[in-house]
Amino acid sequence: MPNLNKLTLKEALLGIKEKKFTAPELVSDCYDRIAAVDHQLNSFVTIVDKETALKQAQKVDPSLPLAGIPVAIKDNFLIEGLRTTASSKVLDSYIAQYTSTVVQKLISAGAIVIGKTNMDAWAHGSSTETSDFGPTKNPWNTNHLPGGSSGGSAAAVAADECIISIGSETAGSIRQPSAWCGIVGLKPTYGRCSRYGVISMASSTDSPGPICKTVDDSAFVLSIIAGHDPNDATSIDQNSWLYPSQSISDLKGLRLGLPKAYFPSEIKTEVKEATLRAAETFKKLGAEIIELDVLDPQYAIAVYTVLQRSEVSSNLARFTGVRYGNDRSFFAKEAIRRIMLGTYSLSSGYYDAYYLKAQKVRTLIVDDFNNQFKKVDAIIGPTSPTTALPLGATQGQAMFGELEDMLMEPSSLAGLPGISIPCGFANGLPIGLQITGPQLSEDKIVNIARLFESNTDYHLQRPQL
Amino acid sequence: MKVTPIIGLEVHVELKTKSKMFCGCDASHFHAQPNTHTCPVCLGLPGALPVPNKTACDWDIKLGLALGCSINRNSFFERKNYFYPDLPKGYQITQLQKPFAINGKIKVDGYDIRINRAHMEEDTGKSVHMTLDGKDVTLLDYNRSGVPLVEIVSEPDIPSAQVAKSYLNKIQQIVRYIGISDADIEKGSMRCEPTVNLCIDDKYFTPLVEIKNVASLTGVLNAIEFEIKRQTQEYIDSNIVKSDTNKTTRGWDADKSLTFLQREKEGSADYRYFPEPDIPPIEYSDDEIEAIRASLPELPDQKIARYKSYNLSDYDANLLADDAVFSAIFEKALNNSTDFEFAKFVTNLFIGPLKTISLEIEKINPIFFKNIFEHKKELSSTAIKQLILDSYETGIDPLEIAKSKNLFQVSDTGKIEEIAKKIIADNPKAVADYQKNPLSIGFLIGQLMRASAGSANPQLAKEILEKLLK
Repeated sequence: MPNLNKLTLKEALLGIKEKKFTAPELVSDCYDRIAAVDHQLNSFVTIVDKETALKQAQKVDPSLPLAGIPVAIKDNFLIEGLRTTASSKVLDSYIAQYTSTVVQKLISAGAIVIGKTNMDAWAHGSSTETSDFGPTKNPWNTNHLPGGSSGGSAAAVAADECIISIGSETAGSIRQPSAWCGIVGLKPTYGRCSRYGVISMASSTDSPGPICKTVDDSAFVLSIIAGHDPNDATSIDQNSWLYPSQSISDLKGLRLGLPKAYFPSEIKTEVKEATLRAAETFKKLGAEIIELDVLDPQYAIAVYTVLQRSEVSSNLARFTGVRYGNDRSFFAKEAIRRIMLGTYSLSSGYYDAYYLKAQKVRTLIVDDFNNQFKKVDAIIGPTSPTTALPLGATQGQAMFGELEDMLMEPSSLAGLPGISIPCGFANGLPIGLQITGPQLSEDKIVNIARLFESNTDYHLQRPQL
Repeated sequence: MKVTPIIGLEVHVELKTKSKMFCGCDASHFHAQPNTHTCPVCLGLPGALPVPNKTACDWDIKLGLALGCSINRNSFFERKNYFYPDLPKGYQITQLQKPFAINGKIKVDGYDIRINRAHMEEDTGKSVHMTLDGKDVTLLDYNRSGVPLVEIVSEPDIPSAQVAKSYLNKIQQIVRYIGISDADIEKGSMRCEPTVNLCIDDKYFTPLVEIKNVASLTGVLNAIEFEIKRQTQEYIDSNIVKSDTNKTTRGWDADKSLTFLQREKEGSADYRYFPEPDIPPIEYSDDEIEAIRASLPELPDQKIARYKSYNLSDYDANLLADDAVFSAIFEKALNNSTDFEFAKFVTNLFIGPLKTISLEIEKINPIFFKNIFEHKKELSSTAIKQLILDSYETGIDPLEIAKSKNLFQVSDTGKIEEIAKKIIADNPKAVADYQKNPLSIGFLIGQLMRASAGSANPQLAKEILEKLLK
């Protein structure tokens, strides 16, 4: 069977099970694809030695749930013995000393790690253009950005360089690149997946999650990586999340909210139309669409900027050059800007005006969602106001990421689960639709997204590289 | 010129929990091979996350309760950001706004000393400065990094160096009583930093001075005394008074017995505190707090009061209550007796012969104490001391030992008289001497005692000899 790398997770697992092909063949096809296209895309920062991966695939216990599945991991997840840079030259030569919980769960489930994917350095951005190892390019059009910060993970899945990948989201970093790359990004409830071993960006919102080719795949991967971790005090006290294997057949009785504020003036017409078209699809499937007045996402941008910068300034303090190879002069502009702003907002005399006020507004945002979820079961909207922007779009745009992610920042601050799924195209570039639910409502949003997916064919389209 | 010292103390106590504050590493570090008690968390490796040690938090609250503090039911950790090579994360996890324990008070030498807080934090690693291959190097040992630390901050209520020393003694005693730390200043498991200034003529205040590197209780006493003298002289010479910007840090040099300037014009360093996002707020219910309160042992002050109620002197009570283990052994021997005479008798044994050896509570048999007490009139004081030690070492009933060693004093006058008559008959010269000089009776008494193998009551022997020789 040629091009096994193009398979979805479900297809790949079935193929191995039915002995149509072997795990090493599957892994090998992904390596071939990387060899063929990654020089155009730059999805990977580090590629695992092919022979090592093949040996693992040969030896893997076939009874494991992800036996032999090639997975690409965002470069801010630590894997023992493997270089981990968070796409920053500060960590250019850093070899991780232990393995992050999420990756350990994948490995224990039989997955084969084939490489570490590119990202905005330290996850600071929404373009993957701030990577110290060069930008990743969008597989749909290599003159365009893949989004970010998990841009490498999204591009690798969209370009079939792997079967599944793992990203992390602080406010949009899984969903936005998934939208721009035309695939599925599932951002779990904050604390659903352990942060242990993930280089901290903004500790109070960082959420690891899967990036896959279908809703079903992403739900299955989430069921593997979710669960309480005694090494992460913020992880939710629930041992597991069960994959909803039974699909629902309609959305009767379901109330879906469509916030007016999620259609800002900056929104691209095609994105707006695709979102409204998706709303019509939901209506046909039986859902009631309710317009919502929510807090203006502008507030979330301000809150997120202050809190995230503050946490960043403290989280990056350990990279002094004493222990991690390169010193602070290797921090690029974006990180320096965030450290400066965060240090300022935590300084005595400014703490109350910035950090404390931001925390208070954050509570208001949480309250607003709680109120909205009394009226609706889930909220839908465009993932990003635009489709993938051209390379260079971030130049001179210090707030690029915040503006790009403004439609996801409120839900991220509230720790809510969300999923981005393909819902259309504009000029050959994919459009993403986000579905957000209350905390711990992954079952619900997965079921809604899966039903949408089975009634549309956007997810079946693949970029031509 | 009236000089009133104003002294506050910051005391750090390392808790002796099994594991560290935020990871599972062994928390013991004294004399451990460097960097063997470490993991990603206490090394501050990228991606590592702190998980608070529940026992340490409970113990901080326990100490808070012992110091008369109120307990914050809703508490949280914060990050104190600063750079230092032995601080691997670039911040220390500590508590500022809502420590577990606040607003306590203890009585020391008759003074009420208010406790501002007893908060929970983590210790730093250690910088070891040494010469290696001819080069001066600084090595880092992270065994201590992340060891649970409680910081007890007093209000500036301490009026003298002596009270400061007593305060530290008291803190040490309480900490040891509740069993949360060895509080050993020499080993660094208890550390203190006095802040000292003076009030002159009830009007003027001298600049604040924080004293570092004090490594013993005597050091604290001497350093504060030195500083009081130094500041008095400085005020006389310069008239400089306290301002927001003239707080200084001085080091204590124990060899030269003086403090020296370390840091000048210390504006308040900006540590950019903010709530630790890696650790959710910690809540204690009233029930949980009460359960911790119920687990408190009898504290030194209560114990001393109880001992005094047995009619023991202030001195004895303090001595017995000084150490919780020692007083527990004492009480095992006392065996709940309410007999004041017995209590005094046991006390004398404990502050006497038993004080000289190291005691194990298992080897204490209260019956032995009771037996000796009941026969104390038949035993010499030397014999009593020897018997309590021998019975402790051997586990044999002291009365049996006394019997086998013939230590019971014979108080049977008939028997003594019999021996006395024989002594008088056998020693005519000594009898003649006595007739000339009654003070020479000692020789005859000695002969009698020897003849009775030491078992005669010497007082009785003397009386009988005198009677017979009249």
